[in-house]
Amino acid sequence: MNTPKLTIPGNTHADLTSHDTFAQGIPHATFERLRRDDPVCWIERGEGLGFWAVTRHEDILTINRDHARFSSAHGIRMEDQTPDEVEARRTFQETDPPTHTRARIHLNRAFSKKMIATYEIQVRELAVEILDNALLEPQFDAVTMIARKLPMRMLGRVVGLPDDDLDWLVDKGDSLIANTDPDFTDHVIDQVNTDEYRFYPFRSPAGKDLYDYAEKQAALRRDTHKDDLLSLFLAPMKNGETFTDLEFKNAFALLVSAGNDTTRYSISASIKALIDNPDLLSQLRTLDEAQWLLAVEEMLRWASPTMHFRRTAIEDVEFKGHHINAGDKVILWFISANRDGTVFEQPFTININRTPNPHLAFGQGSVHACLGMWLARLELRVVMQELVKRVHSIEQSAPETYLRSNFIGGIKSLPVSIQCVQ
Amino acid sequence: MPQICFKQHDGSSITVETNSGQTLMHEALRHGIVGIIGECGGSCMCATCHIHLKDPGQFGLGGISEMEETMLELEGEDITPHSRLACQIEITPQLDGLIVTVASTGD
Repeated sequence: MNTPKLTIPGNTHADLTSHDTFAQGIPHATFERLRRDDPVCWIERGEGLGFWAVTRHEDILTINRDHARFSSAHGIRMEDQTPDEVEARRTFQETDPPTHTRARIHLNRAFSKKMIATYEIQVRELAVEILDNALLEPQFDAVTMIARKLPMRMLGRVVGLPDDDLDWLVDKGDSLIANTDPDFTDHVIDQVNTDEYRFYPFRSPAGKDLYDYAEKQAALRRDTHKDDLLSLFLAPMKNGETFTDLEFKNAFALLVSAGNDTTRYSISASIKALIDNPDLLSQLRTLDEAQWLLAVEEMLRWASPTMHFRRTAIEDVEFKGHHINAGDKVILWFISANRDGTVFEQPFTININRTPNPHLAFGQGSVHACLGMWLARLELRVVMQELVKRVHSIEQSAPETYLRSNFIGGIKSLPVSIQCVQ
Repeated sequence: MPQICFKQHDGSSITVETNSGQTLMHEALRHGIVGIIGECGGSCMCATCHIHLKDPGQFGLGGISEMEETMLELEGEDITPHSRLACQIEITPQLDGLIVTVASTGD
């Protein structure tokens, strides 16, 4: 087999452990080199702190399916945590079957495809309101005015939270997920001492605030039953057990963090794609509903905001010529899988008709695949449908900036100049 | 390479060679089996790879999992006691000769 040529310009040896690397944009040239030359690669981070970086689609899919040998129970990000920190901050994401299964079955009801489809009218109303407000000005930051607004406003409705609290929740959610970016938190975990918060989600004071908020919301629902998602969280599971207080608070913090930012960055990447591909706007305008479903999958592949999740080998594993020791961390780089040229023809081209499109933006194939995948798809489709209806042309008015995070990848500001359809 | 036969409700059928280690859904998609969509990507998060499988025990397959059963209950149509999700079935050499019927509504 011929060795494929490296085709992506840029640094082919970027430091994947550094948050600063990602603040310059996604290091695609490095991932392309790793996929070609070193697809299962040990990356040293100092004594005992290394990890295996897995970058090919096929390998990621294989490991992600193998929860029996590659566990989520010891942490799911690159960040090093002590066992007591993992325990204190554990959500159902940091569990394996069968523990994971009981929580997942419970929550799947609220996030099933059929259930989420019932929200389409509400999502569209919100998207229209947000876009009509943003488009009052010819120039604005598309992330602040569009992408950052929709996900939490919709999540608030699904979860059952007051509208007045949502801006506060967006800020808290940002402080959690972007705990490595000084634009979003004063407690940047690799720059200041955050030991005081090590037992809170994302080692963040915002985690403590969200615990308090979650307790209040739980108390409200214990007093008066509400027909919303938080009530479902509090209700007994199929086996009669309920979440403990800590499990509930951690699940709430997870909802606020995961529901806040990943869809935002899928929207901002999709708007950036409109700017960079002038034909895309007119192509999107011609799509029927079935074609939009395909287009959204391509936008998700393109954005791939959750760049990695981590697993930990719980036994020695021989994998693709490498000996992975029990206890080794294994990082699954979904962002790389979604540019794998052996799976996606012309992976660096956005092709809204791409089918099949077996992208892994939601960690597909795993029992841990994104619980909110249907909501994310719905929001992205609707906001882009409404945007392309209104926009005649779109240009960038200043360079974009990227989140400083090796975990979540995204455009955090995107100044645009828009001419609306008359 | 285990050979697996996919039958449709209109009586047509096709037998394909599959790869052990892959899921039945993945292999159905690879061969373009009508009615298998796998919209969630094989995560037991939809029921668009719904099949009917008689006598799974004969081929060494276990019973339906609770997760699979819940998802079929939430999303599936044409549910029968033989309903399964193809994404939850891993192909092994033992599946050679397996016959599955694609459920009448893939979505």
